[in-house]
Amino acid sequence: MNALEAKNTYFSQFSDWEKTALTKDPFWIRETREKALAYFQETGFPTSRDETWKYTNLDPLFQIPFALNGDRISKEAVLPELNSLGFETAKANVMVFVNGHFSKALSGVSEPSPKVKIRSLIESLSDGPLKKHFSHILPFENRPFVALNYAYFTDGLFLHVPAGERLEKPLHVVYVSTNSGQPTQSHVRNLLLMEEDARASVIEHYWGNNLKPYFTNTVTKVSLDKGAVLDHAKIQQESPLSFHIGTLAARQNEGSRLVSRVFSIGGALGRSEVETVLVERKAECVLDGLYLARGHQQLDHRTFIDHLSPSCVSEETYKGVADGESVGIFDGRILVRENAQKTDARQSNKNLELSNKARIYSKPQLQIYANDVKCTHGSATGQLDEEALFYLQSRGLGREEAKRTLVYAFAGEMVERVADGYLKAPLQTMVKKWMEEKMGGKP
Amino acid sequence: MLVIKGLKVRVEEKQILNGIDLTVGKGEVHAIMGPNGSGKSTLAHVLAGREGYEVTDGEVLFEGRDLLSLAPEERARAGVFLAFQYPVEIPGVNNTYFLKAALNALRKARGQEELDAMDFLELVKAKLQPLKMDESMLQRSVNEGFSGGEKKKNEVLQMAVLEPRLAILDETDSGLDIDALKVVADGVNALRDKDRSFLLVTHYQRLLDYIVPDKVHVLARGRIVKSGGKELAKELEKMGYGWTDGAGKKEVTAP
Ligand SMILES: Nc1ncnc2c1ncn2[C@@H]1O[C@H](COP(=O)(O)OP(=O)(O)OP(=O)(O)O)[C@@H](O)[C@H]1O
Ligand SMILES: [Mg+2]
Repeated sequence: MNALEAKNTYFSQFSDWEKTALTKDPFWIRETREKALAYFQETGFPTSRDETWKYTNLDPLFQIPFALNGDRISKEAVLPELNSLGFETAKANVMVFVNGHFSKALSGVSEPSPKVKIRSLIESLSDGPLKKHFSHILPFENRPFVALNYAYFTDGLFLHVPAGERLEKPLHVVYVSTNSGQPTQSHVRNLLLMEEDARASVIEHYWGNNLKPYFTNTVTKVSLDKGAVLDHAKIQQESPLSFHIGTLAARQNEGSRLVSRVFSIGGALGRSEVETVLVERKAECVLDGLYLARGHQQLDHRTFIDHLSPSCVSEETYKGVADGESVGIFDGRILVRENAQKTDARQSNKNLELSNKARIYSKPQLQIYANDVKCTHGSATGQLDEEALFYLQSRGLGREEAKRTLVYAFAGEMVERVADGYLKAPLQTMVKKWMEEKMGGKP
Repeated sequence: MLVIKGLKVRVEEKQILNGIDLTVGKGEVHAIMGPNGSGKSTLAHVLAGREGYEVTDGEVLFEGRDLLSLAPEERARAGVFLAFQYPVEIPGVNNTYFLKAALNALRKARGQEELDAMDFLELVKAKLQPLKMDESMLQRSVNEGFSGGEKKKNEVLQMAVLEPRLAILDETDSGLDIDALKVVADGVNALRDKDRSFLLVTHYQRLLDYIVPDKVHVLARGRIVKSGGKELAKELEKMGYGWTDGAGKKEVTAP
């Protein structure tokens, strides 16, 4: 299929699907689905002429027909698998979605405060605050994948932390893709509402043990009221033949703080977008990212920080490693608008190419329209330092171990920046395992 | 211990070593002196197995083994240690982690049990003390931001921990203050042993007051142009390298 044929397929599947899947949808949701679908039909998939998709090859995605009816129940036990990845799930609230459908049976949520809502989105459609936030924040114009998501989403997380409340335990949301016998697509939509001074720590974990191709398309909207603090991590650990496209879009009010960490390791094609609008003064964001690509993987990252108001702080650090014939992409745009005086914006993107066929594309963009600001950015792509390798070898470390040591010194920084707690040890394990599998001497 | 025969080495089409012959016996300390650019570091690097050097002729035997056929880590495991003239900074790699990984790689190769974190820390602290190094150095990244002298001491620390059979010290005395020079020399002397040999590359006779060598060689234009006892260093100090030129032209090579 080419992009146009693929578009038509994604469009025409709707009528069959809605007859069976959408019977419980309220009218207003149905309306947004249809609007989004119409928009998608009009624009179609992005092409390489689109600046923000320039380096990404979507052709492989178009080749596979993905069915919408993935299993709703996982045949495998998810919790033991998570534990074997190093997560002490007893210390977290765990929510599990299977092929885009909430699985109550696999989830375990026990939060002391009755005011905090941790729910399935589709079961919360009558919720007042949800309705209020549902359609605004992120329009789908110029975002065909978001439009596709709005048309086809099956479920997702709805988190609502009211003013002054906090989540005691981290919320670990696992989106599992399981083998349903044929390639499947799932679209999940998450909504995180953090009211004044609310606090939470949320992990979006995309994970597949499905060796068939599948396609996950996600949208996460985040609203941070005055003084709210959200620590968000996304772990993209999809299985090797999968496609993952996901967007996180936040709006931040006065003095709020968003920490977003993206760890991309899985999928044949993985694209993660993070964008935040610093709507009111003194809002702060930290955008961290680490991508580890190998084989023929394409791991693509686009970020956008919109400094709308004065005295906001943004600090962005993305690092990438590419081995084999893989492609790593970082496209990071920071916009400092006229009104955003006293902005403090820092951006850094560093990459390591481990083979001469690996490709890194780094595109930092700083657009500044205010005059009293402090902005820095830097981008560098290099190879392993031969001097350092020799130094390590001359002390007895084997060449592969020396390489692993240097790669971990580079990439591990993004893991070491994570505070001790629920997430850190599993991330360390994940990165070390990647290095062993990738660089243990196997081709 | 170490036998170098007719070693010729080229770097990027440039001939640097023009036939080195050198034999270092078990337990001996040999000093190599010579003008800048004469090939001392090149020799040290070739012995340690650094890439980018083309050996066009000659051979090197280390305890009877063909040293040049071994990878750098195999040489280290066989007991060769090079203290770098310019130690490399490795950001993000913790000094303790690095030392422990190195020691355990060597212990494994020797068929010894690997040390756990506790035993290792005890060992390394004991080695730090005589070098008057601060324990905080262990928590920093390898050589990163170390002063020139601290880097050199860190090399000696590694040598003390790894206990090589042949230690090649490439200008480990350069850039050290008088006290540090004494400390480093004491560190080397403490390791002197009937089974351990040293090759000291230095520009200064002063080091040889502290570490008294068995032999002194002068390397010039890629050749050993003069060899002698420890007095040779004193003569060089007085008369400079110009004095060895005649000897070089006559191709006199000491045994
Ligand atoms: N990679 C290289 N490419 C070209 N020339 C090189 C290279 N490495 C070394 N050389 C040259 O080889 C010669 C010997 O260098 P070497 O570092 O061995 O000298 P040295 O005796 O250690 O000098 P110093 O006393 O200054 O440390 C020098 O002329 C140097 O410029
Ligand atoms: Mg030198």
